[in-house]
Amino acid sequence: MGESSEDIDQMFSTLLGEMDLLTQSLGVDTLPPPDPNPPRAEFNYSVGFKDLNESLNALEDQDLDALMADLVADISEAEQRTIQAQKESLQNQHHSASLQASIFSGAASLGYGTNVAATGISQYEDDLPPPPADPVLDLPLPPPPPEPLSQLVVKVHMNDNSTKSLMVDERQLARDVLDNLFEKTHCDCNVDWCLYEIYPELQIERFFEDHENVVEVLSDWTRDTENKILFLEKEEKYAVFKNPQNFYLDNRGKKESKETNEKMNAKNKESLLEESFCGTSIIVPELEGALYLKEDGKKSWKRRYFLLRASGIYYVPKGKTKTSRDLACFIQFENVNIYYGTQHKMKYKAPTDYCFVLKHPQIQKESQYIKYLCCDDTRTLNQWVMGIRIAKYGKTLYDNYQRAVAKAGLASRWTNLGTVNAAAPAQPSTGPKTGTTQPNGQIPQATHSVSAVLQEAQRHAETSKDKKPALGNHHDPAVPRAPHAPKSSLPPPPPVRRSSDTSGSPATPLKAKGTGGGGLPAPPDDFLPPPPPPPPLDDPELPPPPPDFMEPPPDFVPPPPPSYAGIAGSELPPPPPPPPAPAPAPVPDSARPPPAVAKRPPVPPKRQENPGHPGGAGGGEQDFMSDLMKALQKKRGNVS
Amino acid sequence: MAGMKTASGDYIDSSWELRVFVGEEDPEAESVTLRVTGESHIGGVLLKIVEQINRKQDWSDHAIWWEQKRQWLLQTHWTLDKYGILADARLFFGPQHRPVILRLPNRRALRLRASFSQPLFQAVAAICRLLSIRHPEELSLLRAPEKKEKKKKEKEPEEELYDLSKVVLAGGVAPALFRGMPAHFSDSAQTEACYHMLSRPQPPPDPLLLQRLPRPSSLSDKTQLHSRWLDSSRCLMQQGIKAGDALWLRFKYYSFFDLDPKTDPVRLTQLYEQARWDLLLEEIDCTEEEMMVFAALQYHINKLSQSGEVGEPAGTDPGLDDLDVALSNLEVKLEGSAPTDVLDSLTTIPELKDHLRIFRPRKLTLKGYRQHWVVFKETTLSYYKSQDEAPGDPIQQLNLKGCEVVPDVNVSGQKFCIKLLVPSPEGMSEIYLRCQDQYARWMAGCRLASKGRTMADSSYTSEVQAILAFLSLQRTGSGGPGNHPHGPDASAEGLNPYGLVAPRFQRKFKAKQLTPRILEAHQNVAQLSLAEAQLRFIQAWQSLPDFGISYVMVRFKGSRKDEILGIANNRLIRIDLAVGDVVKTWRFSNMRQWNVNWDIRQVAIEFDEHINVAFSCVSASCRIVHEYIGGYIFLSTRERARGEELDEDLFLQLTGGHEAF
Repeated sequence: MGESSEDIDQMFSTLLGEMDLLTQSLGVDTLPPPDPNPPRAEFNYSVGFKDLNESLNALEDQDLDALMADLVADISEAEQRTIQAQKESLQNQHHSASLQASIFSGAASLGYGTNVAATGISQYEDDLPPPPADPVLDLPLPPPPPEPLSQLVVKVHMNDNSTKSLMVDERQLARDVLDNLFEKTHCDCNVDWCLYEIYPELQIERFFEDHENVVEVLSDWTRDTENKILFLEKEEKYAVFKNPQNFYLDNRGKKESKETNEKMNAKNKESLLEESFCGTSIIVPELEGALYLKEDGKKSWKRRYFLLRASGIYYVPKGKTKTSRDLACFIQFENVNIYYGTQHKMKYKAPTDYCFVLKHPQIQKESQYIKYLCCDDTRTLNQWVMGIRIAKYGKTLYDNYQRAVAKAGLASRWTNLGTVNAAAPAQPSTGPKTGTTQPNGQIPQATHSVSAVLQEAQRHAETSKDKKPALGNHHDPAVPRAPHAPKSSLPPPPPVRRSSDTSGSPATPLKAKGTGGGGLPAPPDDFLPPPPPPPPLDDPELPPPPPDFMEPPPDFVPPPPPSYAGIAGSELPPPPPPPPAPAPAPVPDSARPPPAVAKRPPVPPKRQENPGHPGGAGGGEQDFMSDLMKALQKKRGNVS
Repeated sequence: MAGMKTASGDYIDSSWELRVFVGEEDPEAESVTLRVTGESHIGGVLLKIVEQINRKQDWSDHAIWWEQKRQWLLQTHWTLDKYGILADARLFFGPQHRPVILRLPNRRALRLRASFSQPLFQAVAAICRLLSIRHPEELSLLRAPEKKEKKKKEKEPEEELYDLSKVVLAGGVAPALFRGMPAHFSDSAQTEACYHMLSRPQPPPDPLLLQRLPRPSSLSDKTQLHSRWLDSSRCLMQQGIKAGDALWLRFKYYSFFDLDPKTDPVRLTQLYEQARWDLLLEEIDCTEEEMMVFAALQYHINKLSQSGEVGEPAGTDPGLDDLDVALSNLEVKLEGSAPTDVLDSLTTIPELKDHLRIFRPRKLTLKGYRQHWVVFKETTLSYYKSQDEAPGDPIQQLNLKGCEVVPDVNVSGQKFCIKLLVPSPEGMSEIYLRCQDQYARWMAGCRLASKGRTMADSSYTSEVQAILAFLSLQRTGSGGPGNHPHGPDASAEGLNPYGLVAPRFQRKFKAKQLTPRILEAHQNVAQLSLAEAQLRFIQAWQSLPDFGISYVMVRFKGSRKDEILGIANNRLIRIDLAVGDVVKTWRFSNMRQWNVNWDIRQVAIEFDEHINVAFSCVSASCRIVHEYIGGYIFLSTRERARGEELDEDLFLQLTGGHEAF
């Protein structure tokens, strides 16, 4: 417990520090209107933040996550809690992801960079209002500074058919996104979890490698794509590291080796891995055999003898031997990704359903440049796919695995600790993570208070395993979060919420106000408000989203604002004239101030009450909080 | 004291006369005769010999070699009786260190003094210390192949022989660095040159020589080499090596521990050279694509080593990027040729605009190249019908990120095309840009763009330079009219691609076909530093499926035909001699024990689960197989004993043992 609480403290402190910075910063940014309609497929591109630092991004992500979790959770419940906790919380419910985003954007503009905080935030989830119902929605985060940091809102399909939306910025790797998802779902964090991309049109799929940049991959998708991202367990992902003998020692005499392989002990596995991945150069499994190759543009398949080498896949030309000098190069891996083909027997008349596909990641449609290969059985298929990944990614794959193991190990340790504490499950994963992510230091201010709160919360949790009571008692977001965790996995929010999701956009205005400078002290907790259901119309009113939002092209060049209107808000009224990029804030301010002000009062008291609130948080923080409050209130008002 | 006599001159003790020849094993060597008893200690005998010779000389390196027993008498406290020496023993009083000519992995010859009295393992360690090669346990010595004198005595051009025989290394301490090289190399110009020979890659060999050198044509040819390894537990003298003999120094065990470009320049270079010769002489096979990468790396390494850019990697520090740009901008400005203000050039995005001819291959189209106005900005290429229409919508816009860039250049034909294979959601679109003198800039821009970088990147300039350099090489190397354009003996400074590839590719491709392919492969490695490029070369070599396998011809127990046993660092491979197919693989990690029956020259190995294998060795002595297995087992223990002194006893225990018989 001690550890976890410390972690939480740290998270708090970092969060507070961030907030300080934010407040200090002028809070210039305008918030972008969210996309009311979830346009196309799974993910929408949302905005680009410009100077945001990673930490800020992280925060945003967290917020989004929290939002999503909230969506899942019962609104009423959330409200009650929030009420109990703070009066403000009610108002806060409106708070949407966008709001947070806006806040952060402000920070970003400041150029303040910390890596941290976001990870920790997840704890607040419970307190936070439900996230916008529609994951699809694009939260446009607007400020378009010189170098926008593009972000996408990505809808991730869970294995229970629910979805979650997260915000992913252009620097995040698949690993980071997985970590986020771990926090949100409270799954067991084992190494098999992966992000999985599916191309329904081509009927191909593959896992993201942990080191891959998610935004980069997604930027190859077309706008009207049906592609999806899944979050699921695939034991194939790191199969080679669990049973290297199946890949490295399996070449000859299958039956015999199969028996012996299964007996391979851990030590031998380890030495085999070490030998294969830790030398001066990695060893690619020796793999060769007859595969079927789909002929270009036809539905006929030709059987050829293929060999895998570190430099590519080769085949034996007719009448030649399989010595190196006779081999003809079939493909090299530099520019292609490997995918599993599904149901290609149906689709392409493949001899079997054990197909794999090699294509340039940017190719999204049927093309002669896509190579289809077909194996005799699933074992061979897995060997080839893994072999190609080893050849393509080399030691990176092993590094990824080790990180995944470390992550899983940490998680399991935490969960073990957590078993004592009913509420604990979520915390474990977040705790360690935050600790690692924590950057430099602003932490000091918040630390004491936070820790105290947490401890208290934990005590509650321990004494009464019932999560709900604990939640009710504590304003602290961290505590409540745990109970919600299970809910997070719930199906997507009801349609009603969708409207609310748009509310996310209102957040932007709030933020703007905040910058304007309400002096109210808002406790950090408050700043995570429940999601409000603002009318979609609001969004259009909001400043136009950054160009990136609309088009997340590979180069991240922001498209002109008009395009945005056309795409996302076509139905909506035309957006108001966009304020100058640097100072979008003014516009929102004018629009929103009144409502926000009205609701603010409740906030301050709470904050004071909150033991966690550090003196250090200071005025800047308060401003920030007040802005948030305003935004929430406004949303509220809209809803009502 | 031996030699007590009566007055009549008869010896009254049990002393006897011992004749000792002075010098190396030379039947006509001078000799001294001593009076000794069985109780005489070797040390005393040595003293007497020196007294008798009565010459002022440093005798400290001398010791007695007993010819019949092929043994050094190194235990000075032992008595003659203990050694079993009688009056008929032929003893030679000679130096323990004698000069040999060492053929290094880079094929250069080096004269140095090697220990003839220590076990080879120690002798090699001493040599490696002299050459500053770490991890000497990975290397060993081979006998030089016997020269076939039958052929007409072609006068081989007298090759340069480096000499380190005068260099004496203080024992114990690792040599300190002085002027960037171990101190003992900095004594004279010759030794300094020697160090450069050791630590810098050699230029590509003459293709004609390459064709003349023997190459293995079959697996059984590949077994020949391995019959020549010397025994590491015995000394050179015992193995019949004489002073002045030629020996090969090679990496024997393909398990390179802790390869560090920073501390290992000689080791890295020699390893690279061994790999390079392995490939060039077709000791190891690779595919065409792999060969092009190897050739490009060799070209790159040679270029760097010629130009003396031995040191820092190029452009590895991104932090220097901006600085470089700023500096180059400043430079331009100072020269007065800057087209725009410095500040402008720092903030504006560089772009290329020009009239280029463009060709888009399509099905059923006969259209050829057409002139367009082409604008290249950031990573995007746009083309317009004409310059006037440039502000409007381009005919097409291509983002080159992730695209494939293939040069299609024929210098003598004045053809400078860039083939782009641009990915898009629908597939790849192919487009050709035909340039003139702008080629290098556009090419560099395309290459950077394909990696997602813009022309603002600091590597842009160097990329342009590299392309120009390559073009000029082609001009001198294979393009010049009247200068046997495609002959293998093009001018020396030009790129002769035949020196970079194995002879079978020389037969398969013309030089002008090879050059663009090497150029293409080169673009992926052009940014590497010398050490990085060498390391990359070694890694690519290690990634070959047949890497690190030493072949020995054996006959398995119960089998009637010879087969090949491949020994790698982690496994034994049974290979069909005729077809070359792998029949069976056994891993060392499953090995329980191995035994050698020296009488019937049979090696018996037991693996887990009672798998027993036995074979007799045909092409090499079973000692060599035994040593290979023991050596690899030994090397695999190094990770555990990291940082500790080499456990020589363990090595000799694992690889020796046959002397007991």
